[in-house]
Order: sequence, then structure tokens, then C-alpha cells
Amino acid sequence: MRVIVGYGNELRGEDAFGVDVIKKLEKFHLKNTKLISAFQLTPEIVLELLEADEIIFIDACNNEKNHYALACSLSVQSRFNLSHHISPKTIVSMLENLYEKHPNFFIYSMMTDSFDNIKNENIYKMRIEQIVQHISSAQ
Amino acid sequence: MKTIVIDPVTRIEGHSKITISLNEEGKVDGAKIHVTQFRGFEKFCEGRMYSEMPALTARTCGICPVSHVIASTKAIDEILALTPPQAGINIRKIINLAQILQSHTLNFFHLSSPDFIYGFDAPKEDRNIFKMMQTHPQMARDGINLRAFGQKIIEELGGKRIHPTGVVPGGAAHKIELSQKEVILAQIPDMLKIAQGALEFFKTNLHKFQKEIDSFAAFPSLFMALTNKDKTLEHYEGTLCFMDSEGNIIKDAIEPGDYKEFIGEAVEEDSYLKSPYYKPLGYPQGMYRVGPLARLNIASTCGTPLADEELKKFKALNGGKPVLNSFYYHYARLIEIIYTIEKIEELLNDEETISENVKATSSVSKTKGVGCSEAPRGTLFHEYHVTKDGVITEVNLIIATGNNNLAMNAGVKQAALAFVDSENITDGALNRVEAVIRCFDPCLSCSTHALGILSSKIEIVDHNKKIVKVIDRS
Repeated sequence: MRVIVGYGNELRGEDAFGVDVIKKLEKFHLKNTKLISAFQLTPEIVLELLEADEIIFIDACNNEKNHYALACSLSVQSRFNLSHHISPKTIVSMLENLYEKHPNFFIYSMMTDSFDNIKNENIYKMRIEQIVQHISSAQ
Repeated sequence: MKTIVIDPVTRIEGHSKITISLNEEGKVDGAKIHVTQFRGFEKFCEGRMYSEMPALTARTCGICPVSHVIASTKAIDEILALTPPQAGINIRKIINLAQILQSHTLNFFHLSSPDFIYGFDAPKEDRNIFKMMQTHPQMARDGINLRAFGQKIIEELGGKRIHPTGVVPGGAAHKIELSQKEVILAQIPDMLKIAQGALEFFKTNLHKFQKEIDSFAAFPSLFMALTNKDKTLEHYEGTLCFMDSEGNIIKDAIEPGDYKEFIGEAVEEDSYLKSPYYKPLGYPQGMYRVGPLARLNIASTCGTPLADEELKKFKALNGGKPVLNSFYYHYARLIEIIYTIEKIEELLNDEETISENVKATSSVSKTKGVGCSEAPRGTLFHEYHVTKDGVITEVNLIIATGNNNLAMNAGVKQAALAFVDSENITDGALNRVEAVIRCFDPCLSCSTHALGILSSKIEIVDHNKKIVKVIDRS
């Protein structure tokens, strides 16, 4: 099974990118795919990922120079951290170490520095569309 | 004078730093915690409609939004002169307890337990959840399961795990379905077993930390909490009570709406966190502590059997007098986890809870409302003033963590004096100074994603503000 996790704060402009991608994907009724929308990543989300062969995290990534660039990178957002929310890599590490699950995982990010509003609605929607097309065509 | 800066403080929620000042002989003579985030909720809520306040103020936090929703809806209940039906009150209580459960669980299992397992002097690369997942995987899984239990209750009854919408002015938005009740009740035995196991682990290892117990914010202070007339542990209703370090009740039965008569709010130039104090004693002598330690010091009983057994042992720590060592916040937190599970079961088995009648309605009747509840970290106040049309004109919030500000500051100073040697600054010593703050489990804010890459270094600055040493803690 493929699990797609889009996360972000819908009140914080382009931080909602991951959540907005999930909203769009819900209309496609993708086979063998589970969609999860979250405000932030928290430890117990691993329980919803136990059946996953492949996990795709979708998030907005803070970057001042390459606004609206799309990236599929494990390094940019893979910082191990632990506060009251955690990073994708921490989630994957939990799956591996605690549940002996070794899914493939990817992080699709849209670079942005606009966390107050959506700066350019047309480009923002285009980026959502591009990610949605990419995911739905990879069925 | 030299200053040591710990920036950022790790394994807490939000952004803060600690400065440790050294005198000319190089000895520690002061320490402070600075909260470096500014939020501004009290100001930007002005001009909004009262009905927006639960959703707006819930965004203060992503880990304890339920507390804000509860305090906010209680303030609005007062403005609308509403008394929620018992089922609505019970649903609010269950959601609040579930939040306290998941929040306490995160602190113990994922933020603080690495210190208990590996010790405060362990290499920092080992003192984290990743090492814990390798050496204590069952404990890590237990933490995940316990948190998932609390979050699922919030999601089921509140509509969403984070920023739930099911708690509304007048009560709750939806009744509890029988199937929801049965699913939650079926998990109670397993969750109790996990909670009891964690408490046993903590008690078994306590003897290793006597020096930390004696120097992590271990001092006399006042304690404040919501409580009932019979001093049963309470997180939703009741009145405010202040107890001194000898166990004397110095002020009882304060209606939450009168809190300003007894709580002053000081502001320090170097921190965005307010410093509330007990007014009759003045600032800063009126320092008090809130949260699990304060609640258990003030409560004479939890009102649930397993938690009461543990409460007796807890109270014996200081011969029946209030427990003054902040290290025991962890102990109190674990007892509260057991209590929340037992209490959720009790409330779900109350026939009133599954009634259809969960909400009362009304319109603006008063121009001021104060809502007060016990959040995971302590007593939370929301005060709103509105026009007769319901437009917010003034807001005052005292966030639970803020109540502990003076005590946290006194605590980091005490730990710095006990452990930091300016000639040989060890990572273990600095970890202990941070760990004092983790005792209080401060929630500085997690309603937003952190922006930017956090630095992780300690700077030692001389009296000319010149950096003489940098220690990378990343």
C-alpha cells in the first residue's frame, strides 16, 4: 500500500501546500493508496503507516531563494528533531526500529518563504497540480 | 562578567534560551530563561466576534489546543449566561483529560525519559529517542500507543486531533455514540497497564537522581490549582486555591472571575513570557508553581482508586507536606496519566454522558467572561470583554506555562549554581540546566511550524559582550 501524508497549517499561507495536495488527490480515488492530512507530524502517526510499502510526505519547505521550486529530497527536511512535532525521517526511523517496517519513502516539497498568505495563487495552484499529476500518474 | 548562553533549549516545546552569568571570579551568580517567541494573540483577537474565539485561541498551541478551547468556551458560556447540560460538560471533561494524557505521555516517554534511561551525563548523541528506540523499543512503542489513545479520543469526540471543533459554547457539538464509547472503554485496561509500567520504571530509577532531585528547582514556593470543595483533583470545574510550602491553604475558593484580585502580571524586558505572581505577596516574592506538582500537592484525593494509591506514596515523599522538588513533576505527571485513564472510564460509564442533550444556546447577556481550566501544565485563564453585539474589545490570557515563569527562572539558577563550573563546562552540566525546564514541560508554542534552522550552541560572553567561547550542541 502507498500512503501519502500531506501536512501543514492551513492558516499559514503556503504552509498549507501538503494539505491542499491531499484535498486535490482525494478526488482521484487512487487505488491501493491511503491519504492522510495532518497539521503536523506527531509520533502516533506511525500506527497509520504500518501497512505502507511506500510513504510520500508532502510539505512546504522554508526557502527564501527558490520560491515555488519543487523538490524531492530526503536531505532538506530530514533533520532529526524532537519537540512536540517531529520530522519525516524520525517517523521512518520509528517504523524501522520499533516495528521492523522498511517502506520506501519520499519527501515532495514546495519551496516557499510565504507563511502569511499565498503570494501567487496561480503558481501555487500549478504546483499543486504538478504534484497531483505526478502522484496519480505513478499508480 | 561572563555569560553562558544555551540557545535553543532542547527537548521542550517552543523557542527559548538560557543565559548563565558568571562573576569576575568566574563563578555562577545568576541564570535566566528567555522566551524569544512573540505571539500577540491578546491584541489581534480584538475586533473579532466572540464566537470566533475558541477556534482562534486554540491556535495558540498545537499540543494543548483543547485547554484553550475549554477555557475559551467557558468564558463565552459566561458571556452568554449559559449552563451546559451535564452530557456537554462530561464530553468537555473527557476531551480535556485525553489531552492531558497525550501531552504528559509525550513529555515522559519521548522528551524526558532519555535522561532517566541513560543519565544526564550520557553522551548527547545517546541521550535521545533514537537511542531509546534501539535499547528500549517497547517503552517507545508504549509511548506511541498511549498518545494514540488520547489523540483518538480527541479526534472521535472533538472532530479533529489538533484544534478540535467539537467543544462549543454551551457544551459539545455532538453526542457520544455508543460505538465510540465501547471502542474507548475496550482500550482502558491496556492503557492502564502501560501507565502503571511507566510509573514503576520511574520509581525504580529514582534513587539514581538524588542530586538532581535536590537541585532542580527544589525550594519553597506557593502552589496554585483549581480544586473542589472537598479538595479532589480537578481539571475542569471548581475554584482557585493557593497553598504555601508548609501545606497551609493561604487563600481558597477564589472564583476564577476574580483572578485579577490575586494574580498580578509582571513583565520582564528580556522575555516575551509574562511573570504572574500572587499579588498579596508582591513581585517577585509571590512566586507560585502550577501544573501536576501543584495539583497533587493541593488535592487530598484523586477520586480514582489506582491514582489514589499512588497519591499516598507521592505525599509520603515529604512527610505529608507539599512536595517542593520540581524533579517530581515527572512523578506527578505519571500519576495524572493513571488518573486520566481511570477518570475517562468513569465519565464514559456515567449514563448522563451519552445523553442526546449536549448543548445549550443563548445570546450575549454579559459583557465580560472568564474561563479557567487546568491545562496539562497548569491553570489557564481566558478573559474576554465584548460589546453588546458580541465584538471582542479586550482579551487577557494567562497561559499555564507562564504561571511557572518565576519558578523556572529560580530553578535554572539553582541548577546552574549546583552543576556549572565555568572552568570546566560539561555537556552534562548544561543538560541538567535544560532538564530543570523540562521538569515543568513548558509549552511555549507549537501552533506554527518553526521557521528557519535553529542554532544549537552555547556562547560564553565576557563583560564587554565579546564572545570568548562557543560550544556547538547540535
